[in-house]
Amino acid sequence: MNQQSSKLQAKDLITVGIFTAIYFVVFLACAMLGFIPVFLLAMTFYGPIITGIPFMLYLTKIKKFGMVTITAVICGILMFVFGMGYFTMFTAVIFGLAADFILKAGNYTSKKNTTLAYAVYSIWFIGNYIPLYLTRESYFADLVSGYGQEYVDTLRTYTPGWMFLVLLAACFIGGLIGAALGKAVLKKHFVRAGIV
Amino acid sequence: MFAGLISGSENAVRFTLDPRTKLALVATVCTIMISGRVGGIMTVIHPMLALVPFALLLLFGRVKAAVSYLLAYAAAYSMISFIMPVTSGMISILIGATAGIIYRMMPSLITGYFVVSTTKVSEFNAAMERMHISSKITIPMAVMFRFFPTIKEESAAIKDAMYMRGINSLRSPMEMLEYRMVPLLMSVVKIGEELSISALTRGLSGDTKRTNICKIGFHLPDLLCFLLCIVCWICFVLHVGGMI
Repeated sequence: MNQQSSKLQAKDLITVGIFTAIYFVVFLACAMLGFIPVFLLAMTFYGPIITGIPFMLYLTKIKKFGMVTITAVICGILMFVFGMGYFTMFTAVIFGLAADFILKAGNYTSKKNTTLAYAVYSIWFIGNYIPLYLTRESYFADLVSGYGQEYVDTLRTYTPGWMFLVLLAACFIGGLIGAALGKAVLKKHFVRAGIV
Repeated sequence: MFAGLISGSENAVRFTLDPRTKLALVATVCTIMISGRVGGIMTVIHPMLALVPFALLLLFGRVKAAVSYLLAYAAAYSMISFIMPVTSGMISILIGATAGIIYRMMPSLITGYFVVSTTKVSEFNAAMERMHISSKITIPMAVMFRFFPTIKEESAAIKDAMYMRGINSLRSPMEMLEYRMVPLLMSVVKIGEELSISALTRGLSGDTKRTNICKIGFHLPDLLCFLLCIVCWICFVLHVGGMI
Protein backbone atom coordinates (compact mmCIF):
# COMPACT_ATOMS: atom_id res chain seq x y z
CA MET A 1 0.00 0.00 0.00
CA ASN A 2 1.23 3.43 -0.88
CA GLN A 3 1.51 5.34 2.36
CA GLN A 4 3.74 8.14 1.21
CA SER A 5 0.84 10.31 0.22
CA SER A 6 -2.74 10.04 1.25
CA LYS A 7 -3.79 12.84 -1.07
CA LEU A 8 -5.42 12.00 -4.35
CA GLN A 9 -3.05 12.21 -7.28
CA ALA A 10 -3.64 12.35 -11.01
CA LYS A 11 -3.24 8.59 -11.30
CA ASP A 12 -5.97 7.98 -8.74
CA LEU A 13 -8.24 10.46 -10.43
CA ILE A 14 -7.82 8.65 -13.74
CA THR A 15 -8.69 5.39 -12.02
CA VAL A 16 -11.81 7.06 -10.65
CA GLY A 17 -12.74 8.22 -14.16
CA ILE A 18 -12.30 4.80 -15.72
CA PHE A 19 -14.29 2.90 -13.15
CA THR A 20 -16.98 5.51 -12.89
CA ALA A 21 -17.41 5.22 -16.66
CA ILE A 22 -17.79 1.45 -16.53
CA TYR A 23 -20.01 1.57 -13.47
CA PHE A 24 -22.28 4.13 -15.04
CA VAL A 25 -22.57 2.32 -18.37
CA VAL A 26 -23.54 -0.93 -16.65
CA PHE A 27 -25.90 0.98 -14.42
CA LEU A 28 -27.55 2.67 -17.37
CA ALA A 29 -27.95 -0.65 -19.17
CA CYS A 30 -29.88 -1.88 -16.11
CA ALA A 31 -31.92 1.30 -15.96
CA MET A 32 -33.10 0.86 -19.55
CA LEU A 33 -35.46 -1.83 -18.28
CA GLY A 34 -37.23 0.91 -16.31
CA PHE A 35 -39.58 1.40 -19.25
CA ILE A 36 -41.91 -1.02 -17.55
CA PRO A 37 -43.29 0.52 -14.36
CA VAL A 38 -42.51 -2.51 -12.18
CA PHE A 39 -38.89 -2.56 -13.24
CA LEU A 40 -38.55 1.07 -12.30
CA LEU A 41 -38.89 -0.05 -8.70
CA ALA A 42 -37.20 -3.43 -9.01
CA MET A 43 -34.16 -1.51 -10.27
CA THR A 44 -33.25 -0.70 -6.68
CA PHE A 45 -32.75 -4.42 -6.11
CA TYR A 46 -31.25 -5.85 -9.29
CA GLY A 47 -29.25 -2.72 -10.16
CA PRO A 48 -26.81 -3.02 -7.25
CA ILE A 49 -26.47 -6.77 -7.87
CA ILE A 50 -25.29 -6.33 -11.45
CA THR A 51 -23.12 -3.29 -10.85
CA GLY A 52 -21.49 -5.19 -7.99
CA ILE A 53 -19.03 -6.80 -10.40
CA PRO A 54 -17.38 -3.62 -11.71
CA PHE A 55 -17.62 -1.93 -8.34
CA MET A 56 -15.88 -4.66 -6.38
CA LEU A 57 -13.05 -4.53 -8.90
CA TYR A 58 -12.95 -0.78 -8.42
CA LEU A 59 -12.75 -1.17 -4.65
CA THR A 60 -9.67 -3.32 -4.94
CA LYS A 61 -7.94 -0.38 -6.63
CA ILE A 62 -8.91 2.13 -3.98
CA LYS A 63 -6.33 2.94 -1.37
CA LYS A 64 -7.20 6.52 -0.63
CA PHE A 65 -9.99 8.46 0.95
CA GLY A 66 -12.45 10.29 -1.28
CA MET A 67 -12.50 8.20 -4.43
CA VAL A 68 -15.93 6.70 -3.83
CA THR A 69 -17.28 10.13 -3.01
CA ILE A 70 -16.05 11.50 -6.33
CA THR A 71 -17.68 8.59 -8.16
CA ALA A 72 -20.90 9.30 -6.30
CA VAL A 73 -20.80 13.01 -7.08
CA ILE A 74 -20.28 12.35 -10.77
CA CYS A 75 -23.10 9.80 -10.82
CA GLY A 76 -25.32 12.37 -9.09
CA ILE A 77 -24.51 15.04 -11.66
CA LEU A 78 -25.15 12.62 -14.51
CA MET A 79 -28.47 11.55 -13.01
CA PHE A 80 -29.44 15.20 -12.88
CA VAL A 81 -28.60 15.56 -16.56
CA PHE A 82 -30.65 12.44 -17.24
CA GLY A 83 -33.59 14.10 -15.60
CA MET A 84 -33.92 12.34 -12.28
CA GLY A 85 -34.04 15.52 -10.21
CA TYR A 86 -31.54 17.13 -7.92
CA PHE A 87 -32.16 15.04 -4.79
CA THR A 88 -29.81 12.40 -6.12
CA MET A 89 -26.86 14.75 -5.82
CA PHE A 90 -27.41 15.02 -2.07
CA THR A 91 -27.95 11.32 -1.45
CA ALA A 92 -24.93 10.57 -3.62
CA VAL A 93 -22.66 12.78 -1.52
CA ILE A 94 -24.02 11.41 1.77
CA PHE A 95 -23.75 7.74 0.91
CA GLY A 96 -20.52 8.17 -1.04
CA LEU A 97 -18.89 9.76 2.00
CA ALA A 98 -20.34 7.10 4.28
CA ALA A 99 -18.88 4.39 2.06
CA ASP A 100 -15.52 6.15 2.10
CA PHE A 101 -15.51 6.26 5.89
CA ILE A 102 -16.37 2.58 6.11
CA LEU A 103 -13.53 1.74 3.72
CA LYS A 104 -11.12 3.88 5.69
CA ALA A 105 -12.13 2.20 8.92
CA GLY A 106 -11.22 -1.15 7.34
CA ASN A 107 -7.92 0.27 6.10
CA TYR A 108 -9.08 -0.44 2.50
CA THR A 109 -8.31 -4.13 2.87
CA SER A 110 -10.97 -5.55 5.17
CA LYS A 111 -13.32 -7.83 3.23
CA LYS A 112 -16.22 -7.14 5.55
CA ASN A 113 -15.84 -3.41 5.17
CA THR A 114 -15.74 -3.48 1.37
CA THR A 115 -18.98 -5.48 1.32
CA LEU A 116 -20.61 -3.08 3.74
CA ALA A 117 -19.24 -0.05 1.91
CA TYR A 118 -20.69 -1.21 -1.39
CA ALA A 119 -24.08 -1.93 0.20
CA VAL A 120 -24.13 1.53 1.77
CA TYR A 121 -22.95 3.16 -1.43
CA SER A 122 -25.77 1.48 -3.37
CA ILE A 123 -28.32 3.49 -1.41
CA TRP A 124 -27.37 6.66 -3.30
CA PHE A 125 -29.83 5.56 -5.94
CA ILE A 126 -32.73 6.17 -3.57
CA GLY A 127 -32.42 9.88 -4.33
CA ASN A 128 -34.20 9.24 -7.63
CA TYR A 129 -37.29 8.16 -5.73
CA ILE A 130 -37.42 10.98 -3.20
CA PRO A 131 -39.57 13.25 -5.43
CA LEU A 132 -42.03 10.38 -5.64
CA TYR A 133 -42.70 10.79 -1.93
CA LEU A 134 -41.59 14.22 -0.83
CA THR A 135 -43.47 16.14 -3.50
CA ARG A 136 -45.85 13.35 -4.40
CA GLU A 137 -48.88 15.18 -5.77
CA SER A 138 -47.05 17.71 -7.91
CA TYR A 139 -44.67 15.02 -9.11
CA PHE A 140 -47.48 12.85 -10.39
CA ALA A 141 -49.28 15.85 -11.84
CA ASP A 142 -46.15 16.81 -13.77
CA LEU A 143 -45.66 13.26 -14.94
CA VAL A 144 -49.10 13.05 -16.55
CA SER A 145 -48.15 15.53 -19.28
CA GLY A 146 -45.50 13.22 -20.67
CA TYR A 147 -46.34 9.69 -19.67
CA GLY A 148 -50.14 9.71 -19.70
CA GLN A 149 -52.65 9.03 -16.97
CA GLU A 150 -52.53 5.24 -17.18
CA TYR A 151 -48.77 4.98 -16.65
CA VAL A 152 -48.98 7.37 -13.74
CA ASP A 153 -51.88 5.49 -12.16
CA THR A 154 -49.96 2.24 -12.41
CA LEU A 155 -46.94 3.87 -10.84
CA ARG A 156 -49.07 5.32 -8.07
CA THR A 157 -50.56 1.97 -7.08
CA TYR A 158 -47.10 0.44 -6.92
CA THR A 159 -45.73 3.13 -4.65
CA PRO A 160 -47.61 3.46 -1.38
CA GLY A 161 -45.79 5.32 1.39
CA TRP A 162 -44.22 2.29 3.07
CA MET A 163 -42.70 1.34 -0.27
CA PHE A 164 -39.94 3.88 0.33
CA LEU A 165 -38.55 1.81 3.18
CA VAL A 166 -38.79 -1.32 1.08
CA LEU A 167 -36.83 0.41 -1.68
CA LEU A 168 -34.23 1.53 0.82
CA ALA A 169 -33.86 -2.00 2.11
CA ALA A 170 -33.83 -3.35 -1.45
CA CYS A 171 -30.86 -1.12 -2.30
CA PHE A 172 -28.97 -2.29 0.73
CA ILE A 173 -29.71 -5.99 0.35
CA GLY A 174 -29.11 -5.80 -3.38
CA GLY A 175 -25.79 -4.19 -2.52
CA LEU A 176 -24.86 -7.05 -0.19
CA ILE A 177 -25.73 -9.65 -2.82
CA GLY A 178 -23.94 -7.64 -5.48
CA ALA A 179 -20.84 -7.46 -3.32
CA ALA A 180 -20.90 -11.23 -2.83
CA LEU A 181 -21.37 -11.77 -6.56
CA GLY A 182 -18.63 -9.28 -7.37
CA LYS A 183 -16.24 -11.01 -4.98
CA ALA A 184 -17.02 -14.41 -6.46
CA VAL A 185 -16.33 -13.10 -9.97
CA LEU A 186 -13.13 -11.41 -8.80
CA LYS A 187 -11.91 -14.64 -7.28
CA LYS A 188 -12.85 -16.70 -10.30
CA HIS A 189 -11.41 -14.43 -12.97
CA PHE A 190 -9.46 -11.38 -11.98
CA VAL A 191 -7.23 -12.75 -9.27
CA ARG A 192 -6.24 -15.59 -11.55
CA ALA A 193 -5.54 -13.23 -14.43
CA GLY A 194 -3.42 -11.04 -12.20
CA ILE A 195 -5.51 -7.93 -12.68
CA VAL A 196 -6.24 -7.47 -9.00
CA MET B 1 -8.70 11.38 -31.64
CA PHE B 2 -9.19 13.84 -28.85
CA ALA B 3 -11.23 16.11 -31.06
CA GLY B 4 -14.37 15.99 -28.97
CA LEU B 5 -15.06 14.69 -25.54
CA ILE B 6 -16.90 12.07 -27.52
CA SER B 7 -15.63 11.54 -31.05
CA GLY B 8 -16.20 15.02 -32.38
CA SER B 9 -14.83 15.89 -35.79
CA GLU B 10 -11.82 18.10 -36.11
CA ASN B 11 -12.90 20.20 -39.09
CA ALA B 12 -12.80 23.91 -38.47
CA VAL B 13 -16.08 25.11 -37.09
CA ARG B 14 -16.96 28.68 -37.94
CA PHE B 15 -19.39 28.89 -35.12
CA THR B 16 -18.14 28.36 -31.58
CA LEU B 17 -19.52 28.62 -28.10
CA ASP B 18 -17.70 28.87 -24.84
CA PRO B 19 -17.93 25.63 -22.80
CA ARG B 20 -19.42 27.64 -19.95
CA THR B 21 -22.24 28.80 -22.20
CA LYS B 22 -22.89 25.20 -23.12
CA LEU B 23 -23.10 24.26 -19.45
CA ALA B 24 -25.61 27.04 -18.85
CA LEU B 25 -27.68 25.68 -21.72
CA VAL B 26 -27.57 22.15 -20.33
CA ALA B 27 -28.62 23.33 -16.88
CA THR B 28 -31.48 25.34 -18.33
CA VAL B 29 -32.82 22.66 -20.64
CA CYS B 30 -32.44 19.88 -18.07
CA THR B 31 -34.18 21.68 -15.27
CA ILE B 32 -37.00 23.29 -17.19
CA MET B 33 -37.83 20.50 -19.63
CA ILE B 34 -37.81 17.79 -17.05
CA SER B 35 -39.84 19.64 -14.48
CA GLY B 36 -42.70 18.80 -16.84
CA ARG B 37 -44.76 21.81 -15.88
CA VAL B 38 -47.46 22.54 -18.41
CA GLY B 39 -49.93 25.26 -19.20
CA GLY B 40 -49.55 29.00 -19.35
CA ILE B 41 -46.28 30.34 -20.66
CA MET B 42 -44.71 26.87 -20.57
CA THR B 43 -46.62 25.88 -23.73
CA VAL B 44 -44.31 28.33 -25.52
CA ILE B 45 -41.15 27.70 -23.53
CA HIS B 46 -41.19 23.93 -23.95
CA PRO B 47 -41.12 23.69 -27.75
CA MET B 48 -38.69 26.60 -27.84
CA LEU B 49 -36.22 24.85 -25.54
CA ALA B 50 -36.73 21.60 -27.41
CA LEU B 51 -35.62 23.39 -30.56
CA VAL B 52 -32.42 24.67 -28.91
CA PRO B 53 -30.39 21.47 -29.28
CA PHE B 54 -31.73 21.06 -32.81
CA ALA B 55 -30.59 24.55 -33.81
CA LEU B 56 -27.20 24.10 -32.14
CA LEU B 57 -26.52 20.76 -33.77
CA LEU B 58 -27.44 22.28 -37.11
CA LEU B 59 -25.14 25.25 -36.56
CA PHE B 60 -22.28 22.93 -35.69
CA GLY B 61 -22.82 20.92 -38.85
CA ARG B 62 -24.39 17.81 -37.30
CA VAL B 63 -27.24 17.75 -39.77
CA LYS B 64 -28.00 14.05 -39.45
CA ALA B 65 -28.16 14.08 -35.66
CA ALA B 66 -30.23 17.24 -35.71
CA VAL B 67 -32.80 15.90 -38.16
CA SER B 68 -33.18 12.51 -36.46
CA TYR B 69 -33.66 14.24 -33.12
CA LEU B 70 -36.34 16.51 -34.57
CA LEU B 71 -38.17 13.54 -36.11
CA ALA B 72 -38.09 11.53 -32.89
CA TYR B 73 -39.30 14.47 -30.87
CA ALA B 74 -42.09 15.29 -33.31
CA ALA B 75 -43.18 11.65 -33.35
CA ALA B 76 -43.28 11.47 -29.55
CA TYR B 77 -45.10 14.76 -29.34
CA SER B 78 -47.79 13.72 -31.78
CA MET B 79 -48.14 10.29 -30.10
CA ILE B 80 -48.82 12.00 -26.81
CA SER B 81 -51.15 14.62 -28.18
CA PHE B 82 -53.14 12.56 -30.68
CA ILE B 83 -52.82 8.83 -30.13
CA MET B 84 -52.69 8.50 -26.36
CA PRO B 85 -56.05 10.11 -25.63
CA VAL B 86 -57.83 7.50 -27.74
CA THR B 87 -56.10 4.42 -26.35
CA SER B 88 -56.40 2.77 -22.97
CA GLY B 89 -55.00 -0.02 -20.80
CA MET B 90 -51.66 -1.64 -21.53
CA ILE B 91 -51.24 0.05 -24.91
CA SER B 92 -51.61 3.44 -23.33
CA ILE B 93 -49.01 2.56 -20.71
CA LEU B 94 -46.56 1.38 -23.35
CA ILE B 95 -47.05 4.46 -25.48
CA GLY B 96 -46.86 6.64 -22.41
CA ALA B 97 -43.61 5.07 -21.31
CA THR B 98 -41.90 5.18 -24.69
CA ALA B 99 -43.12 8.53 -25.95
CA GLY B 100 -42.94 10.04 -22.48
CA ILE B 101 -39.29 9.24 -22.11
CA ILE B 102 -38.51 10.68 -25.53
CA TYR B 103 -40.67 13.72 -24.94
CA ARG B 104 -39.29 14.53 -21.52
CA MET B 105 -35.71 13.34 -21.66
CA MET B 106 -34.62 13.62 -25.28
CA PRO B 107 -34.09 17.40 -25.30
CA SER B 108 -31.82 17.22 -22.25
CA LEU B 109 -30.00 14.15 -23.49
CA ILE B 110 -29.42 15.68 -26.91
CA THR B 111 -28.19 18.91 -25.35
CA GLY B 112 -25.80 16.81 -23.28
CA TYR B 113 -24.72 14.96 -26.42
CA PHE B 114 -24.20 18.26 -28.18
CA VAL B 115 -21.95 19.49 -25.39
CA VAL B 116 -19.77 16.42 -25.19
CA SER B 117 -19.49 15.98 -28.93
CA THR B 118 -18.50 19.56 -29.70
CA THR B 119 -16.22 20.37 -26.77
CA LYS B 120 -12.56 19.49 -26.90
CA VAL B 121 -11.07 17.96 -23.80
CA SER B 122 -8.63 20.80 -23.32
CA GLU B 123 -11.36 23.38 -23.87
CA PHE B 124 -13.37 21.65 -21.21
CA ASN B 125 -10.42 21.68 -18.82
CA ALA B 126 -9.68 25.34 -19.55
CA ALA B 127 -13.27 26.34 -18.87
CA MET B 128 -13.42 24.30 -15.68
CA GLU B 129 -10.23 25.90 -14.49
CA ARG B 130 -11.63 29.37 -15.11
CA MET B 131 -14.64 28.39 -13.05
CA HIS B 132 -12.30 27.21 -10.29
CA ILE B 133 -13.68 23.72 -10.27
CA SER B 134 -11.35 21.27 -8.58
CA SER B 135 -9.34 18.92 -10.77
CA LYS B 136 -10.66 16.18 -8.50
CA ILE B 137 -13.91 16.42 -10.45
CA THR B 138 -12.66 17.53 -13.85
CA ILE B 139 -10.00 14.84 -14.41
CA PRO B 140 -12.38 11.93 -13.71
CA MET B 141 -15.04 13.61 -15.87
CA ALA B 142 -12.65 14.12 -18.78
CA VAL B 143 -11.44 10.52 -18.49
CA MET B 144 -15.02 9.29 -18.39
CA PHE B 145 -16.04 11.02 -21.58
CA ARG B 146 -12.91 9.74 -23.22
CA PHE B 147 -13.92 6.24 -22.12
CA PHE B 148 -17.54 5.99 -23.17
CA PRO B 149 -16.74 5.36 -26.84
CA THR B 150 -14.02 2.89 -25.86
CA ILE B 151 -16.45 0.92 -23.73
CA LYS B 152 -18.96 0.90 -26.57
CA GLU B 153 -16.39 -0.40 -29.05
CA GLU B 154 -15.03 -3.07 -26.76
CA SER B 155 -18.50 -4.16 -25.77
CA ALA B 156 -19.56 -4.55 -29.40
CA ALA B 157 -16.46 -6.63 -30.15
CA ILE B 158 -17.10 -8.89 -27.14
CA LYS B 159 -20.72 -9.26 -28.13
CA ASP B 160 -19.66 -10.52 -31.55
CA ALA B 161 -17.12 -12.90 -30.07
CA MET B 162 -19.66 -14.33 -27.64
CA TYR B 163 -22.22 -14.63 -30.41
CA MET B 164 -19.84 -17.00 -32.17
CA ARG B 165 -19.70 -19.11 -29.02
CA GLY B 166 -23.47 -19.17 -28.86
CA ILE B 167 -23.75 -17.03 -25.75
CA ASN B 168 -26.29 -14.60 -26.99
CA SER B 169 -29.64 -15.25 -25.40
CA LEU B 170 -31.13 -13.98 -22.21
CA ARG B 171 -32.17 -17.51 -21.33
CA SER B 172 -29.16 -17.89 -19.07
CA PRO B 173 -28.72 -14.39 -17.66
CA MET B 174 -25.95 -15.28 -15.23
CA GLU B 175 -23.84 -16.76 -17.99
CA MET B 176 -24.53 -13.74 -20.19
CA LEU B 177 -23.54 -11.40 -17.41
CA GLU B 178 -20.31 -13.20 -16.64
CA TYR B 179 -19.19 -13.81 -20.20
CA ARG B 180 -19.94 -10.31 -21.32
CA MET B 181 -18.84 -8.29 -18.36
CA VAL B 182 -15.62 -10.02 -17.34
CA PRO B 183 -13.84 -9.60 -20.68
CA LEU B 184 -15.11 -6.05 -20.92
CA LEU B 185 -13.70 -5.20 -17.52
CA MET B 186 -10.41 -6.87 -18.31
CA SER B 187 -9.86 -4.96 -21.52
CA VAL B 188 -11.10 -1.64 -20.18
CA VAL B 189 -8.86 -1.87 -17.13
CA LYS B 190 -5.87 -2.59 -19.36
CA ILE B 191 -6.68 0.33 -21.66
CA GLY B 192 -7.16 2.50 -18.61
CA GLU B 193 -3.74 1.65 -17.26
CA GLU B 194 -2.15 2.56 -20.56
CA LEU B 195 -4.08 5.81 -20.71
CA SER B 196 -3.02 6.62 -17.19
CA ILE B 197 0.65 6.09 -17.99
CA SER B 198 0.39 8.17 -21.16
CA ALA B 199 -1.27 11.01 -19.25
CA LEU B 200 1.41 10.90 -16.57
CA THR B 201 4.22 11.10 -19.08
CA ARG B 202 2.59 14.28 -20.33
CA GLY B 203 2.91 15.75 -16.89
CA LEU B 204 -0.62 15.46 -15.59
CA SER B 205 0.66 14.81 -12.09
CA GLY B 206 2.99 17.81 -11.98
CA ASP B 207 2.77 20.25 -9.13
CA THR B 208 2.86 23.38 -11.23
CA LYS B 209 -0.18 24.98 -12.72
CA ARG B 210 -0.81 23.59 -16.18
CA THR B 211 -1.09 26.01 -19.05
CA ASN B 212 -3.59 25.74 -21.83
CA ILE B 213 -3.47 27.04 -25.38
CA CYS B 214 -7.21 26.97 -25.90
CA LYS B 215 -8.73 30.35 -26.46
CA ILE B 216 -12.00 30.44 -24.64
CA GLY B 217 -14.08 33.50 -24.05
CA PHE B 218 -17.49 34.99 -24.51
CA HIS B 219 -18.63 36.40 -27.86
CA LEU B 220 -21.90 37.44 -29.42
CA PRO B 221 -23.36 33.88 -29.77
CA ASP B 222 -22.61 33.27 -26.09
CA LEU B 223 -24.40 36.45 -25.16
CA LEU B 224 -27.46 35.40 -27.14
CA CYS B 225 -27.51 31.96 -25.51
CA PHE B 226 -27.24 33.49 -22.05
CA LEU B 227 -30.08 35.87 -22.84
CA LEU B 228 -32.21 32.93 -23.93
CA CYS B 229 -31.40 31.06 -20.73
CA ILE B 230 -32.21 34.06 -18.57
CA VAL B 231 -35.54 34.63 -20.30
CA CYS B 232 -36.45 30.96 -19.87
CA TRP B 233 -35.50 31.03 -16.20
CA ILE B 234 -37.53 34.15 -15.51
CA CYS B 235 -40.58 32.65 -17.19
CA PHE B 236 -40.04 29.38 -15.33
CA VAL B 237 -39.72 31.00 -11.93
CA LEU B 238 -42.75 33.20 -12.54
CA HIS B 239 -44.69 30.15 -13.69
CA VAL B 240 -43.73 28.15 -10.61
CA GLY B 241 -44.71 31.14 -8.51
CA GLY B 242 -48.09 30.97 -10.23
CA MET B 243 -47.92 34.41 -11.81
CA ILE B 244 -48.13 33.45 -15.48
